[in-house]
Amino acid sequence: MGQIDELEQAMNSGADQVTDERDASANGDEKAAVMDAPAAPVKKQAKKARKKKMPAKKSKSTRRARAALREQIQEPPVADELPDVQAELEANPELQKRNQALGEELLHEVELLIKRLMRLSPAYKTQLAVPQEVQEAIGDNIEAAASSAGGASILKRLQSLLPGEMLDTDTLKGLWTMLKFTGEYQVDVLKRRMKGDYETDEWGMDQEFIDAVRPLFDFMYNKYWRVTMSGLENVPEEGRALLVSNHSGQLPMDGAMIGIGILQNHPASRMMRALYANWFPTLPFVSDILTKTGQVMANDENAERLLRQDNLVAVFPEGYKGVGKLYKDRYHLARFGRGGFVRIALKSKAPMIPVAVVGAEETYISLYKSQTLAKLIGFPYFPISPTFPWLGPLGLIPLPTKWYIDIGEPIHTDAYPEGSENNLMLISQLTDQVRDTVQNMINDRLRQRKSIFMG
Amino acid sequence: MADERVIVVTGVASYWGNRVAARLLEQDDVHVIGIDDEPPQDNVDGLDFIQADLRNPLLVELLQQEQVETVIHLKFRETLTPSESVFEQNVMGTVKLLGACGEAGVARVVLKSSLMVYGARPDNPMFLREDHPLNGNKKYGYLRDWIEIEKYADSFHEQNPETILTILRFGHIVGPKADTPMTRFLREEEAITLLGFDPMVQVIHEDDVVSALVHAANGDHPGAFNVAPEKGMPLWKTLGLASKLPIPILHPFAYWSVSLGGPRLAPLPLDYLRFPCMGDMTKMRDVLQFTPQYTPEETVREFSSQQRVRKLLGKKSREAFEQNRLRDTLQRRKRSREREGARSATRRKNKAA
Repeated sequence: MGQIDELEQAMNSGADQVTDERDASANGDEKAAVMDAPAAPVKKQAKKARKKKMPAKKSKSTRRARAALREQIQEPPVADELPDVQAELEANPELQKRNQALGEELLHEVELLIKRLMRLSPAYKTQLAVPQEVQEAIGDNIEAAASSAGGASILKRLQSLLPGEMLDTDTLKGLWTMLKFTGEYQVDVLKRRMKGDYETDEWGMDQEFIDAVRPLFDFMYNKYWRVTMSGLENVPEEGRALLVSNHSGQLPMDGAMIGIGILQNHPASRMMRALYANWFPTLPFVSDILTKTGQVMANDENAERLLRQDNLVAVFPEGYKGVGKLYKDRYHLARFGRGGFVRIALKSKAPMIPVAVVGAEETYISLYKSQTLAKLIGFPYFPISPTFPWLGPLGLIPLPTKWYIDIGEPIHTDAYPEGSENNLMLISQLTDQVRDTVQNMINDRLRQRKSIFMG
Repeated sequence: MADERVIVVTGVASYWGNRVAARLLEQDDVHVIGIDDEPPQDNVDGLDFIQADLRNPLLVELLQQEQVETVIHLKFRETLTPSESVFEQNVMGTVKLLGACGEAGVARVVLKSSLMVYGARPDNPMFLREDHPLNGNKKYGYLRDWIEIEKYADSFHEQNPETILTILRFGHIVGPKADTPMTRFLREEEAITLLGFDPMVQVIHEDDVVSALVHAANGDHPGAFNVAPEKGMPLWKTLGLASKLPIPILHPFAYWSVSLGGPRLAPLPLDYLRFPCMGDMTKMRDVLQFTPQYTPEETVREFSSQQRVRKLLGKKSREAFEQNRLRDTLQRRKRSREREGARSATRRKNKAA
């Protein structure tokens, strides 16, 4: 026992010296100034806690011992090559104050977070309530690490590498708040949705789902394919209308891009509802995503009901023949079905608006359609391109071509007499008219286009 | 008796027959005859119970002698696997009953069916109209029987145009007491769903089913009607409202296991967890002039709260349930005695007049 006491005393005297030195340099000490602010409350807490449990004397001695150790660890100071942030901080008392306040706030946030976590999962309580000694050790070591030359130099080096505002406390705090907020929000949304507390319309369109996936489509529209949209004034601000577009690109992304374009750029930012082929509902996830984003299975009843509800509906009369086109057949419109879309437009007196999409044909280069493979998997077509299926999922990445979406003038159908939806001659005539219009619009755009990728 | 309408309710020993008979008896102007091959467990007072099998040839005489105006046919046994004896009871029973109704000149016949008879298929319109062909999955006993009954009812209607035949095709029925494919699906520990599929479903409350049947019996509404709340909701939302965690399974595996293990593995045919099968409610609103009182959300929430209580209390809840039932029965008897008194009073008045 005697030996230990001696040792402790010796350490105490050593440590006293150190603390005195520190006190002397006090606020002038640049390293202390940085880290003291956030560390101070921790230390205070630790001290308080210790007072409750342990005799004060012993705690003081251990503290001094640690200080002595720290003194040994300390390295010589670094050369002042880099701009001295600390000096600036020191010179400006306001900045110091703000720094301290921010540090305290951060600590407060951390405490709140810990409380939240403890409330959410009481099982973790024991792990989260850090034992006093560990807490104390952390508090001391943070200071040591920061005041040691190594830490500071790393920080400085980082600061010189990154743009100045990246290591600013405000930026970090902002980032943290944003992260916290998004995390909490996502958890809340998920919880709410798991309880079934969300709304869909009668077709299953889920606005929350659309908001969640929209950034991806916005990125594809604005950055990846750099879509240029023209003729938006031809889309009515309200009331029913039937968009008739060419179909291309192996995957039905053209529908999504027309929809996003109208949502982004149209003054009424109308929600477009595309009609999709009856093969898609049999595919997992695809059917789900299509329904939730407001697309509807293509058949007469659905199309009529949508138009009766004054929706903006898009159809792709080429169907699979259009999507699964070979590269050599690009921009040659396939047969426009049997003109079912004209019949529905006549019946519900909706104007038909021709739409030409240019650029989607080159997103995948389909050289050959494998009948055997398609039959084997149950797909309506199976494209073979230079990259697919050889590169697996990588072959699915579309080429970043430049897209043009041109919306033509509407072809009005309300002038035709009642019952003209049974006039087969009129239907085939109108079908050809719409098809020719779309083909002409495509040809015009192709004549103007200089490059597939740059436009 | 002459001023009273005589209504026959079949299957009064089952849940639906019992509920509908009890609801009809709340009206003053009806005389309700209940027919079943076993006496009802929940005694409905005021009910004129006749124990008979529907396939009995003497049924015609019964209908003629009692001067029956309306028949509500609710005798139906739901089985998952197709069974010959149940088919005999369900379909042949209906055939014989409809034959007897035609011969006895019954004015009105009401049948209960389901929207599931249309079948869930990828090329379905989102909202099926009543004239859509019935393409339901015939591997399931109850579905096959429903479809057979509907097909026979169609030909019956052609042969007996003077009899008003009303067929009510209900959405998925959910309620704290009813036992239907959907409630069985929601009551199971694991709600098995198909990965990446979330079809829209229409859910109707059991009380609305009873109201719709009584409503159909009180008026002339020839033809088939889809009956459900106008708005559907996604299947996963239904599960969420019922506090069930959906367990998604890759659909080829699910189909494969059901084809091996039989329909017992899934109370709802898998197609109905994959494709939408919803009815267009325009005809219900405009022609039948019926509106369900419960929203689908309310229906499922009520169901799940009842489930939770049942699960928590276990044995005790059953005792409480029995007590409540006895209390209900006592109150009903009291009510009916009062009504009986009022009725005899009016009869005396009529006689005096």
